Amino acid sequence: MPKAKSTYRPKKKTHSVDAPEKTSGAAVRPLWSGTITFGLVSIPVDLLSAVRPRQTAMKLIDKEGHALGRQYRCSKDGKKLVNEDLIRGYETDDGKMVVITDEEFESVAPEMSADINLINFVSADQIPPVYFQKPFYLAPAGKSSKAYNLLVATMEHTGRVGIGNFVMRGHEYLVAIVSDNGVLRADTLRYADEVRTADSIGLPKPSKVASELVNQFSKSITELKRNELSAEELEDRDAEELQALVKAKQKDSSNVVHQHALESDDPESSSDGGAQIIDLMAVLRRSLSKRAVVTNAQSSTPISLDERRASKRATNAKPVIKKKARTRKSRKS
Amino acid sequence: MARAMWKGLIALGKQTVAVKMYSAVEDRSIRFHMLHKKDHAPVEQHIIRKDTGEDVRREDIRKAFSLDNDTAVILQPEDLDKLVPPESRDIQLCRFVNATVLGDQWYDRPYYLGPDADEPSYFALARALETTNMIGIARWVMRKKRYIGALTSINGYLALSTMRRADQVLKFAEIEPASNMKPLPNELKLAQQLVSSIEADFNPQLWKNEYRQRLLKLIEARARGEKLTPVKIKKKAAQVSLADSLKASIAAAREKKVA
Repeated sequence: MPKAKSTYRPKKKTHSVDAPEKTSGAAVRPLWSGTITFGLVSIPVDLLSAVRPRQTAMKLIDKEGHALGRQYRCSKDGKKLVNEDLIRGYETDDGKMVVITDEEFESVAPEMSADINLINFVSADQIPPVYFQKPFYLAPAGKSSKAYNLLVATMEHTGRVGIGNFVMRGHEYLVAIVSDNGVLRADTLRYADEVRTADSIGLPKPSKVASELVNQFSKSITELKRNELSAEELEDRDAEELQALVKAKQKDSSNVVHQHALESDDPESSSDGGAQIIDLMAVLRRSLSKRAVVTNAQSSTPISLDERRASKRATNAKPVIKKKARTRKSRKS
Repeated sequence: MARAMWKGLIALGKQTVAVKMYSAVEDRSIRFHMLHKKDHAPVEQHIIRKDTGEDVRREDIRKAFSLDNDTAVILQPEDLDKLVPPESRDIQLCRFVNATVLGDQWYDRPYYLGPDADEPSYFALARALETTNMIGIARWVMRKKRYIGALTSINGYLALSTMRRADQVLKFAEIEPASNMKPLPNELKLAQQLVSSIEADFNPQLWKNEYRQRLLKLIEARARGEKLTPVKIKKKAAQVSLADSLKASIAAAREKKVA
């Protein structure tokens, strides 16, 4: 069995099989709630994921179709362990194990803060793509969305994006706050020491280029040029192949299993991506505009609460794969 | 010199460019082993049957694709083999768009490409991307997985960033705020002044991951058998009316610039 290794997350412990099952209720639960401080102006916001997991995750079962789970055990006495029995150790280069207690982690954790501090504004095209890590939407959370709309309009007028930082789940994040069709998005940024350069990799110095060769490439580029990208160009072909195979196999009932509490094959992906989509819609409708519509890039069909409920009912009655309307949450409760 | 993680062949029309691939990011997260609190022995992860708690042998584990909450289709190892895409070295460029078409939320993991024996073609393609201000959309198969990526040029070099797939990215049609929630012209003017007063060049060197630094210090101290007492910093912001706050903010920003 491999050694259990994890990146330390102070506020959210690694899950165990004994954790109570989550219910699928439509509770509005953002990942983080706080305030953007723009000068002395405070803008209360909820942070929600702007991306959802790929539709390729699978569950673990045994040959007979029984649901499987993960369990931690002590390598010495074989005892079953729950979160309270665990402690983290750091292995030094000379093989020494340094044990760090939860209290010690707590003592170096960033000060709990509910502020996204806007430090300065930069021109949007100044941030190299290598810095972008993960996008989140910021939905207005207060009674009034006026200050929120003011920041959106200001960034749209000036073409600037805000650079700020905030603390979430014990980690400090650097973010670029951008305005996206009337909604604020916070894209987390990598720190400079995480980003390599051509120089640090050791790539050869650019040599003189033959203009003839450049022209040939430019010509090929122009031939493949379009003004927009169509959804098919970015579609998930792995997911399509997988779903086609599943559809074919489903016809033989011996391939179909019925089990509760199926566990994902990827322990990192067990976040409720589906719930966040519902939240985003509801929050934006309530706080910004009744006409707010969220879609994924693939379909222009809105992802709405009603539609999701309807599709869930349909799925329960007749198990067919409804690719566009279904998300992880409806498969997992 | 960093080691290349993969070698590929960019295919653009009839032209090809042989490239080596390097990660453009370095994982600096500090990794910990999970230990048993009582005896500090390493923790093992077991796969068990949920109903009985019994261990399941590796070869008896199967994967299943869920159709709904409690129905799934079981996939055998040979099914999963069928899903592995055919091996290939080609990075197929299918489309080019203006650099502004692709929003930041599409970029997933960045890589640098380096020339593999053919420097003239490599630097010529980088130059062509730069002069046309285009981004190439590429598909390739690497280590038994399909990828979509964006081919760009950075300072004369080629970079290829993997991209999120179409159904992962959530989008909006333009949202028009309710009329009573729209900013007033004077507020907008003040806010723009505030933005220009704290405008700067993007300088990522200014920000350090202080948590990581504190954590490393703690580990070093503990390795020497010492304890550490950290100092904590607190921040606070006041709250008044929107226009007053903006004016006060601009004044504060000006003062800072003078000082």
